[in-house]
Amino acid sequence: MRQADTAFESASGNRRAPRLTAYLLLTPLLVWVMAFVVAPALIILVYSFGERQVLGGVTLGFSLRSWARVGDPIYLAILWRSVEYAGITTLICLVVGYPVAFVVGRASERHRPLLLTLVMIPFWTSFLIRTYAWVTILKSEGLLNSLLLQLSWISEPIEMMYTPFAVIIGLVYTFVPFMILPIYGSVEKLDASLIEAALDLGAGPWRAFWKVILPLTRPGISAGVLLVFVPALGLYAVNDILGGGRVDMIGNVIENQFKGTARNWPFGAALGTALLGAFALAFWLTRRPGRADRAAG
Amino acid sequence: MRVFTIGSAPARGMLAALTALALGTWAHPTVAADAPSELNLFAWSEYIPTSVIEGFEKESGIKVNYEEYASNEEMLAKLVSGASKYDLLQPSEYTVEALIKEDRLQPLDKSKLPNLKNVEAWYTTQAHDSGLKYSVPYMSGTVGIVVNKEKVKEPVTGYDDVFKDAHKGRIVVLDDAVEIVTWAMATQGKGPAQVNSENVAATRPVLERWLPLVKVYDSDSPKTALLNGDVDIGIVWSGEGAILVNEAPEKFQYILPKEGAHMFIDSLAIPKDAPHPEAAHAFIDYLLRPEVSRKISEEFPYTNPNVGARKLLSDKERNNEASYPKGSPRLEIFRDMGPTAVEIDELFTDVKAKSAS
Repeated sequence: MRQADTAFESASGNRRAPRLTAYLLLTPLLVWVMAFVVAPALIILVYSFGERQVLGGVTLGFSLRSWARVGDPIYLAILWRSVEYAGITTLICLVVGYPVAFVVGRASERHRPLLLTLVMIPFWTSFLIRTYAWVTILKSEGLLNSLLLQLSWISEPIEMMYTPFAVIIGLVYTFVPFMILPIYGSVEKLDASLIEAALDLGAGPWRAFWKVILPLTRPGISAGVLLVFVPALGLYAVNDILGGGRVDMIGNVIENQFKGTARNWPFGAALGTALLGAFALAFWLTRRPGRADRAAG
Repeated sequence: MRVFTIGSAPARGMLAALTALALGTWAHPTVAADAPSELNLFAWSEYIPTSVIEGFEKESGIKVNYEEYASNEEMLAKLVSGASKYDLLQPSEYTVEALIKEDRLQPLDKSKLPNLKNVEAWYTTQAHDSGLKYSVPYMSGTVGIVVNKEKVKEPVTGYDDVFKDAHKGRIVVLDDAVEIVTWAMATQGKGPAQVNSENVAATRPVLERWLPLVKVYDSDSPKTALLNGDVDIGIVWSGEGAILVNEAPEKFQYILPKEGAHMFIDSLAIPKDAPHPEAAHAFIDYLLRPEVSRKISEEFPYTNPNVGARKLLSDKERNNEASYPKGSPRLEIFRDMGPTAVEIDELFTDVKAKSAS
């Protein structure tokens, strides 16, 4: 939205072409958002009040049957587990990603492009292929177990595949760049003189970090948390491939309503809408402190 | 030059067009409406060998657009949405039944299918489409037990031998609620034709015992976990089992459960609104040729319903018990389950969630 704001400002600054240019520049984005975000979301909302058809599909109407099932403890428990996995993933990404982002952001300008490229190299390969690569590493007769056996650190293979551990590894691996990049953006803009001032005025490194660096990089952290948490909540491919589908994520349950035996589109739509609501809530919660900061700054 | 705003007509037109795109009413890009030399094939992923499709294209001059799906329900979802027009589908028997009930298929013109005579008589008398009025069997198969004999020493004959505490964390099963619930019903002496609310609910205690023992749920490639050594025993598609047995006959064995096994018949059927039914008939007849059907068996070692093709198989292929079971095992096909499918899904999701360690 920052670019959009800028467009507004410059357009209203130019008195000969007020607002029109701004709208024109915004049109592609608005159309995109309408067609691919708002319209599908509304369709899902409408579907969620419909009735299931025999072959799949929805008979439109106003039925609360699907919504009543969303509140069922079975699905709330699954949603909660998805939130837990996404939360743990986000936390690990933050702990792992922050130092990396800091080092890259404070590196000399000559080295920065190289370091950033290293962070982004994984994106050159398909996400699914990278996830399957983890199968090769983690399986019983896999690379990691072979290595540990060779080194005689273990006497028999550790079970890593098809465990929650494997799922979390896969999720963290997938999402850590999404944490690093926004934090890097904040760290890069960090004014070194403020840190020096803190140190000169007697703050130790810890205090300087907690009182100066952390608050100043908070917008990056908020963005990173959001960019990791929201997709991690919906992503279930990692869970299927590395977790063996032993526990369902909310994404699995939704998929089953459309592509599984139930053929229950209205219920899938109701779950999808509920998840969208949960995302909106997460967004709202992470946005609020950011705003307070900016007001204070 | 006039610059249009959000509310102006061209912008609204564009918006409407893009909304239409989002709604899926836009014509499907791969489907050209009236080119007679095309076939829009909508079939299972990795189930029709490329060489077979190329052979047909070369001989007939018909271009085949192969769109893939991973489950009958995914196929139905796209078919029902009406976004694309398909000429040929590859539904399993219970989906054939549902499609016939909903009047979605067109009757086959048998005069255009001279090779239909190659299909084994048994397949022409099954309840989902008796007399093969709407569908032709492509491949059939069973769902059975694969054992890694190096790891599992005691004899395995049925479902209860798989789901034993000794095998906890060493089991792979299909990630399919209907499959697993019908296995549980089989141990209670009920066949898949008896699927109803009461019988489904009665399987709960069995599922509560079974699911905590399972290590992997995988319908796409259940052989992988067995090959990788992550599990020792599993219940998988016979084609997957046949590949394992072919690869390491001394290690893997395929067993049909004594309680009764599920048999599926993947078929070919033409939707009612198919733009190119002629091409679809031509392709079905091509697939029914013994030498073509034999090529399919080579790549996908399921049970070939084509008697002519079976004669062309090697002894090794014919003797693979996963593809061609010996004796006369109890085999049963699924019937359309109607709304009970929702109850199966809910029961399975519930027990699975509570079984997580």
